[in-house]
Amino acid sequence: MTRRWTKWVPALAIPAVVIVGAVMVPLQAGAAGDLPDKTPQQLLEFAASSKVDALSGTLEQTSNLGLPDLSSITSSMSGSGASGASGEDVSQALDLVTGSHTARVFIDGSDARMQVMDQLAERDIVASPDGVWFYDSDKQSAVHLTGSAQKKAADLTAPTPQTIANSVLGKIGDTARVTVGKDGSVAGRPAYKLVVTPKDADTLIGFISLSIDADTGLALAAQVNAKGSSDPAFKLAFTQVTLAAPDASLFDFTPPAGTDVTEKALPASGGSGEHAKGERAAGIATVGTGWSTVAVVPAAQVPADVLSSPMLKSVTTAVTGGRLISTALVNVLIADDGRVLVGSVTPDRLLAAAAGS
Amino acid sequence: MSTTENASGAESSAITAGLHPSSGESVAPAPRRGVGWALLASELSVLFRRRRTIALLAALAAIPILIAVAIRLSSSTRAGRGPAFLDQITQNGLFVGVAALVVAIPLFLPLTIGVVAGDTIAGEASHGTLRYLLMAPAGRARLLLVKFAGAAAFCVAAALTVVVAGTLIGALLFPVGPVPLLSGDTVSVGEALLRFLAIAAFVAISMLGMSAIGLFFSTLTSVPVGAMATTIAFAVASQILDALPQVAWLHPWLFSHQWLGFADLLRQPISWQTFGDNAVLQAGYVVVFGALALARFLTKDVLS
Repeated sequence: MTRRWTKWVPALAIPAVVIVGAVMVPLQAGAAGDLPDKTPQQLLEFAASSKVDALSGTLEQTSNLGLPDLSSITSSMSGSGASGASGEDVSQALDLVTGSHTARVFIDGSDARMQVMDQLAERDIVASPDGVWFYDSDKQSAVHLTGSAQKKAADLTAPTPQTIANSVLGKIGDTARVTVGKDGSVAGRPAYKLVVTPKDADTLIGFISLSIDADTGLALAAQVNAKGSSDPAFKLAFTQVTLAAPDASLFDFTPPAGTDVTEKALPASGGSGEHAKGERAAGIATVGTGWSTVAVVPAAQVPADVLSSPMLKSVTTAVTGGRLISTALVNVLIADDGRVLVGSVTPDRLLAAAAGS
Repeated sequence: MSTTENASGAESSAITAGLHPSSGESVAPAPRRGVGWALLASELSVLFRRRRTIALLAALAAIPILIAVAIRLSSSTRAGRGPAFLDQITQNGLFVGVAALVVAIPLFLPLTIGVVAGDTIAGEASHGTLRYLLMAPAGRARLLLVKFAGAAAFCVAAALTVVVAGTLIGALLFPVGPVPLLSGDTVSVGEALLRFLAIAAFVAISMLGMSAIGLFFSTLTSVPVGAMATTIAFAVASQILDALPQVAWLHPWLFSHQWLGFADLLRQPISWQTFGDNAVLQAGYVVVFGALALARFLTKDVLS
């Protein structure tokens, strides 16, 4: 009897070892290193002085905005004739914000490529001084933007932790409290943690933490927590990164035969980035400054089929003066006059902005 | 299963059993190692000469053939419709194999793997040949290892069958040219074929975890159909759980989680990350269920 029993020992011990190992190894990977201390000011300067212009890596993005899955709203419109394109654009934008994604990024000076890896499909953005390609393998379609030669290509791809860090660091001034968090490790590299807590009472942002590579000052991860929440509402982090120039052939993009290619020319006078360009083109106004800035999209710029969707009605709540989509980090007010107001601010603040302008 | 098949299976296994004592040099210097290899060789030849195995592989080969013929006979397919890669077949026949894999992986491939893995021990037990096999001086652990190797060999054969049959029928019915990848880059036919081989390897490895589960269930019973059905049910349950966002924390632990991850081999540059992750995941399942199967088999009373 005892001999029989002992034969089961490895059968129980091996699974136990495998499971404990599988749980412990990721914990070890994120364990804190012991880095020389830096004051918040030193760390800010260190991050700002980062000069990494070539890298390849894998980014993982997770969003937990407390927003219902909106893909059904927008995909139902994508087939609806001429206005379908706008619905699809909205769908893509929502998908990037609300879902979880894995993307590979390759940056080399003025060339950049981002690959959003979907299941059995991929969306690519290939940016070089000659123009920008957007490729969607699922639809087998491509858009070629040219005329944006002066712009830094990297600005045109979707955000990386570094672009988020740049915009956060640019905003700090004396509007936020900056502290240094516990040292950690991101993508196998030891990193400092910079925690930025906005002082603004109206913003929904609780704090933003940036993981700054101890070696180069590159931002390896960015995480945004809503006020009063300990779980990040948005997180973008490298899971793997190499600071070496990627293969140059990656930036030389030719869409495959049979692809539906749309050529678009941009006006030569570009802003400082895609966002600025978008605002100028669409006539989007802003109200307020700093952390509680509210963007106001004029009624003419809002695709009508998005607003009339019955599904959209089901995710909004009626407030005096419009309908509100409320998420952990961002509130969106669809005003009765058709304008759309967006901001990381409380609903009251949005309503005040709608009434004020 | 027909009686003839039962008979042939029993007969071949009996031959197998009879072979070992006589095959080794009777006073051999290293008989045990020789016995292991002989056992493996006879296991493989029994497995792949079995009518059922041949029928399963033929059914797998029929998937790409059906897809290719259906597309050839129908009018144009629109981009973005149907399973992935299906719309690209008319432009490049090499996609038939990959499209067939996408179709086969959720159910059909696991079904065949479940049949073979569930039959490993329980099949011998139900034929009454298990005790003859155990008379060979190989030992139970080695017999179990050989049975698992046989199931693994079938995984490789199954994946290769779909890919090779798909590539051949695609080349036959459709134009063949440089292959566009998911990333939008285009690679030469030679490189594409190499990548398809890597995909076959990925899919074969993907099925190893399930084979180990099937091996374990097979040691629990002497009714092969029970082990097969349980194994296949596990594969379906794993995929259902994988589709439920409520148990997202569980997803990376499911053996079916990376099954469609072979698409990462169709990106430029190739992302080997998923290949490695998948191999580690499957190795975990093989070790865990292999250990359970071993413990069960070593303590089992073999009465038939």
